Amino acid sequence: MPLKILVTAKRVEDPESKIKVKPDGTGIVTDGVNYKMNPFDEIAVEEALRLKEKHGGEVVVASIGADKSMTEIRAALAMGADRGILVKHDGPLDPFVVSAILDKLFEKEKPDLVLLGKQSIDDDQNQVGQYLAERRGLGQATFASKTESLESEAEQKKQPGVVLAADGKSLRVVREVDGGLVTVDVSLPAIVTCDLRLNKPRFASLPGIMKAKKKPVEEIVAASLGVDLAPKVAVKKLSEPPKRQGGLKVADVPELYAKLKGEAKVL
Amino acid sequence: MPDKKNASYVQSLCMGEIEEEIIVPFPKMEDGEKETLGQVLASVRQLLSGREKEFREWDVKAEMPAPFIEELRQFGLFGLVIPEAHGGIGFGSTAYSRVLQEIAKFDGSVALTVGAHSSIGMRGLLLFGTDAQKARWLPRLTTGEMIAAFCLTEPGAGSDAAAVRTTARRDGNDWILNGEKIWITNGGMADFFTVFAKTPDAQTGGKASLTAFVVTRDMPGVSTGPHEDKMGIRASSTTTVRMEDVRVPGDHVLGGVGQGFKAAMRILNAGRTGLGGGSVGGMKKLISLSARQAVDRQQFGRPISEFGMIKEKVGLMVVETFAAESVVSLVAGLIDQGYEDYAVEAAISKVFATEALYRVSDEALQIAGGNGFMREYPYEKAVRDCRINRIFEGTNEILRLFIALSAMNDVGQQLKELASVVKSGVADPIKGFGVLSGYAKKRASLATGLVGDKRSFTRLSPSVKHAAVVVEEATRDVAIAADRILRKHGGKVVGKQFATHRLADILIDLFVLSAVLSRVNSIVEEKGAEGAAQELAILEIFSGRARRRMRSNINRIDDNDDELVKVVADHAFEKEGYSWDTL
Ligand SMILES: Cc1cc2nc3c(=O)[nH]c(=O)nc-3n(C[C@H](O)[C@H](O)[C@H](O)COP(=O)(O)OP(=O)(O)OC[C@H]3O[C@@H](n4cnc5c(N)ncnc54)[C@H](O)[C@@H]3O)c2cc1C
Ligand SMILES: Cc1cc2nc3c(=O)[nH]c(=O)nc-3n(C[C@H](O)[C@H](O)[C@H](O)COP(=O)(O)OP(=O)(O)OC[C@H]3O[C@@H](n4cnc5c(N)ncnc54)[C@H](O)[C@@H]3O)c2cc1C
Repeated sequence: MPLKILVTAKRVEDPESKIKVKPDGTGIVTDGVNYKMNPFDEIAVEEALRLKEKHGGEVVVASIGADKSMTEIRAALAMGADRGILVKHDGPLDPFVVSAILDKLFEKEKPDLVLLGKQSIDDDQNQVGQYLAERRGLGQATFASKTESLESEAEQKKQPGVVLAADGKSLRVVREVDGGLVTVDVSLPAIVTCDLRLNKPRFASLPGIMKAKKKPVEEIVAASLGVDLAPKVAVKKLSEPPKRQGGLKVADVPELYAKLKGEAKVL
Repeated sequence: MPDKKNASYVQSLCMGEIEEEIIVPFPKMEDGEKETLGQVLASVRQLLSGREKEFREWDVKAEMPAPFIEELRQFGLFGLVIPEAHGGIGFGSTAYSRVLQEIAKFDGSVALTVGAHSSIGMRGLLLFGTDAQKARWLPRLTTGEMIAAFCLTEPGAGSDAAAVRTTARRDGNDWILNGEKIWITNGGMADFFTVFAKTPDAQTGGKASLTAFVVTRDMPGVSTGPHEDKMGIRASSTTTVRMEDVRVPGDHVLGGVGQGFKAAMRILNAGRTGLGGGSVGGMKKLISLSARQAVDRQQFGRPISEFGMIKEKVGLMVVETFAAESVVSLVAGLIDQGYEDYAVEAAISKVFATEALYRVSDEALQIAGGNGFMREYPYEKAVRDCRINRIFEGTNEILRLFIALSAMNDVGQQLKELASVVKSGVADPIKGFGVLSGYAKKRASLATGLVGDKRSFTRLSPSVKHAAVVVEEATRDVAIAADRILRKHGGKVVGKQFATHRLADILIDLFVLSAVLSRVNSIVEEKGAEGAAQELAILEIFSGRARRRMRSNINRIDDNDDELVKVVADHAFEKEGYSWDTL
């Protein structure tokens, strides 16, 4: 049964860039920072493509943000997604608002499945998938993973980790939870968020990049969706994590005890 | 607007003129291509990262495994410069050069495999191919189903490309090729060979000249030798290519019978920004290795990054890289803007970037100390891999001759006209007067240092004034020097290599400095002087050093020991060695 899949591709800071907080704590210094697709979203796109390759259907990629987010849509299209939707919005967003926007996109696209990253690596909030499922009253399976390792044969063959039931009505999802894996069945349409060990995302080939340029991308102004765009969470201040102190060598246990008690005050 | 067909910034320098509009503002890539390039670079990084171990292994074994070449094909790396209409990416020189830069950060052999295909292997087809020829081969070259090689060098024809002995004999509509090419990059895996052979030229009464042919591996009589055991870029395929009575159809001629020498030069010129880009990539990689190494390594109770001599090395590595990147990008930008006479500029970018990389890799190894010498570290491979860059695609000596002699061409032209006018007396007084007075005026204004037409920059920000003045003064000096050299040696200047070497080095410094100047100027305009503090420092360092080098070279035009050096060299040639001992 062909699946219509809506998948998200958020623009985030490249984790390999050096991130510095602005002196006044209002944000980060963006000069010299590179951007890329949220790595968990890359996994979601990969999973969507595998499902499409196996069952047929369509992969629609959505990104919400400033014009620059078009780059991440193009990146997903270059990987193989069919078309894109850019919801344009400058300014801060939070998971509550993002899920409201995705809810509108769901209404418009009526996908069988929404695949998202379990969280985005900028703010690490891990809420959008859950909110979206709640808003739509649909089943959700978060932290999708799989039993096989990323070095396994199934992975080499690029099998989807999320498995469509024979009747095409539900998905079997292996979820990563504290201390192990849980397998759940979720009826379609469903909301699935992807964890790290679900798959190894492909990278776009150069012909893929060229083809992506010609794929359609619809642009929608967020304000036109009739959603309250005011974030519910206000960021008060950002600060750098405390600098790690260097280690030191102690001669014996009594000295260690003295330091732990006297200096570190942990005893 | 400068005339894109004939304008050359460097050639104008020798006339004492600064063709500012050619290089200011610094070329900028158009947004659409920039976005595609960004995606391609990101994908290239994904393809090549985390494979250091494999690259190292292939270096030791001197091979590049077939499955990896297949990966490159699937990835689409062989279609970078092929137009979209033929299924390629259609990158211009700037974007192409930038991709090679990225590949070279990971491995020199991989960069060369891709580069030899796109820069030179099939460049002749792109430049001179007929529509039918392009339609026939480009689609397969794009996918890498056919990999391309450029076959010029022979045992007796290295720098002297015109000495090629491979022959092409007419047989009806076909040609019969015989001969052997050596050191052909991609020879072992290529299916498409651009081969240069001697053809008797009907127009010049049977006098032989070169012609370029497309030879494919499936033609009977084509064979390639074993993989050469090399110092560096060991995984890159280098082999002989033999042709024994190979029958090549008439429609395989590229760019016309007898046009081969010009074609070979144009191909090499067009490909130079590829090698330049690769060199810049190598330097960037080495700087990140060295910076980390210097911060991590403690001696005398401190990271060695705190020591002045290490700071000096790393600081200058950055300056050289910035300069090489500027000149390579400027040349690529000129090509993309449609300038046709960029051969001297391209040669300068190749010489500067390949020599900068060699210095940078040597210093990077030094910063790593004993570890630098060990094979488990990447430095010794970097030093080995980059050494070839100064030799192939035109040795840097030959390119220096080319830079100096071409740049002096216009001056020589003027002098020649001057001479013939003087000699012919009053044959054509009006025209003669024109030449004479035009050149004399120019000379006079040079000598007096008067600021006149095109003597100075007019569009630059005041923040870069200091370096701009260095370029302006050196331009006046170089014009006077070129004039002096030509007056001294006349037509014999071709044999005066000590003098041409000096002039070439001055022109290299002057053009590279102009590139840095224009680039920093554009950055200042964008970010303001305060935001561009680092770049302004780099400009100041480079311009100061370039000024001192140029000054020294100019002083040595008359005050030198050339004749003595020749005597000592000739002695060594005669004795075939060193003649002294302290015993
Ligand atoms: C790894 C590798 C890959 C190569 N790939 C290719 C390829 O794909 N296709 C191809 O056609 N060729 C290729 N070559 C050949 C390369 O282009 C030549 O080696 C190069 O042109 C120099 O020629 P040569 O080695 O015969 O040196 P020579 O020409 O013998 O030069 C020896 C020295 O003399 C100097 N010299 C020569 N003439 C003059 C002069 N008039 N004035 C001053 N100095 C002079 C040179 O600069 C050099 O320092 C490759 C070579 C190598 C090593
Ligand atoms: C092939 C080989 C054979 C060797 N044989 C011997 C041997 O037989 N016996 C033996 O005892 N050792 C031997 N060595 C070790 C060799 O002497 C050391 O590698 C050398 O002393 C440099 O030390 P290092 O490698 O730790 O570099 P480091 O001391 O870490 O130096 C790294 C870089 O920092 C610079 N640097 C360090 N301190 C300063 C400073 N204060 N100011 C400015 N710059 C500084 C160095 O000049 C160098 O460029 C050998 C090494 C090799 C590679």
